[in-house]
Amino acid sequence: MKTDFGDIQLINRLSEGDKSALYQLYDKYSGALYGVILRMCRNETDAQDLLQETFVKIWLKIDSYDASKGRFYTWAYRIARNTTLNSLRNRSELIQNEDLSVYDTKAEIKTGQENVLLKGSLKKLEPHHQKAIALVYYRGYTHKEAHEVMGVPLGTFKSYIRQALIQLRKSYANEMLWLWCIFEIMV
Amino acid sequence: MEKKRILEEGLLEQYLSGELSPELHRIVEEALHQNSEVREHFDLLEADFERMGMEQAVVPPAQIKKALVKSLEKKSMVRIDRTPLWIAASMAILFGIATLWMFTKWQNAAGNLKVLQEQTAELQERMYTIENNYLQTSLQLRNINNPNVVPLVLYGNQKSPNAKVVAYMDHKRKAVIVNPQGLPVLPTTKTYQMWSDVDGEMIDMGILSPDEELVTLKYIDKAESLNITIEPAGGNDHPTVEELISFVLL
Repeated sequence: MKTDFGDIQLINRLSEGDKSALYQLYDKYSGALYGVILRMCRNETDAQDLLQETFVKIWLKIDSYDASKGRFYTWAYRIARNTTLNSLRNRSELIQNEDLSVYDTKAEIKTGQENVLLKGSLKKLEPHHQKAIALVYYRGYTHKEAHEVMGVPLGTFKSYIRQALIQLRKSYANEMLWLWCIFEIMV
Repeated sequence: MEKKRILEEGLLEQYLSGELSPELHRIVEEALHQNSEVREHFDLLEADFERMGMEQAVVPPAQIKKALVKSLEKKSMVRIDRTPLWIAASMAILFGIATLWMFTKWQNAAGNLKVLQEQTAELQERMYTIENNYLQTSLQLRNINNPNVVPLVLYGNQKSPNAKVVAYMDHKRKAVIVNPQGLPVLPTTKTYQMWSDVDGEMIDMGILSPDEELVTLKYIDKAESLNITIEPAGGNDHPTVEELISFVLL
């Protein structure tokens, strides 16, 4: 797995108990993780607490991170996602219905609401692709939950996700090409 | 098959967000470890995912970092260093293995000790038997090998031409020792018996068996000759003269 070399050095220092390494990782990744948490919980105060909690967990659990299994961001994203989902469940997100079964009452996504905070290349995707990505990666839904929210079969939903990611990759490649051209012109 | 399933069913996308079941999670991790094509797919996916994360980043308020620094500076926020736990666990495992090894060794040692004790007891018994035999042989040799003993050879007559018996007479100690091993084997219903002739009367000295090496018989005073007859098994009160096979004059 292609974990950034600079990240690996920071993670090694962090494993040895160097808090300044954590603060450098915070500087690099807190924005991306805060973006995820904020979009999931839709409450700035809660999101700020959860971001702090996420980095405390990173500090406590860094020994369980294995760079050979994936990037640091992926690992940190999962911590942020699970921390936020647990918090949402604990904050009266679980209710009992009439037949006493317990179910998760994730707020229903109103049309357009999930896109409010999305930006950049994601906004250039087709609406159903945007929604699929938003539900899974920025709202904490599983694929099985998200396809029901969108009202499409699971297989169709999975293909939405795959197509959306391919579109994003193309978009990022184009951006890189533009950046390279601008750089060449400047040079 | 796993590669096709992982790529076609979108398991990598689900693995990325950490929503797979433990079983599927394990399958994907194995495939990532073993299959370069799956790994390349995931590398690209992770790169795009991180890029997307950075693109969707929202700068958090500065006070969060301050709060984080403050919370980590608290004394109570000491990260659990698992190294000592690992060391302790390793030591416990090593101790367990060492204990098991020592227990096995102890069991083997106990088994060996038992065998050794049995062998020692057997050796002691054999030594006791050999010592007894030695003492008995020494005694017999002493009885035979002294100046007062007169060795006499009794050859078989025409009834038993191959018979040959040696009798050792000790007139001083009044003892007779006979080596009957030169006597031919008889049927089980018969036995050899030795007699002393005193003034024409045959007096019983005892029974001879070719199986024995040296037999001590009764010494009869004033015997004029020694005689051997074949008698019914168990011996006879009177000699069967017709069955006389050997004699020697004294």
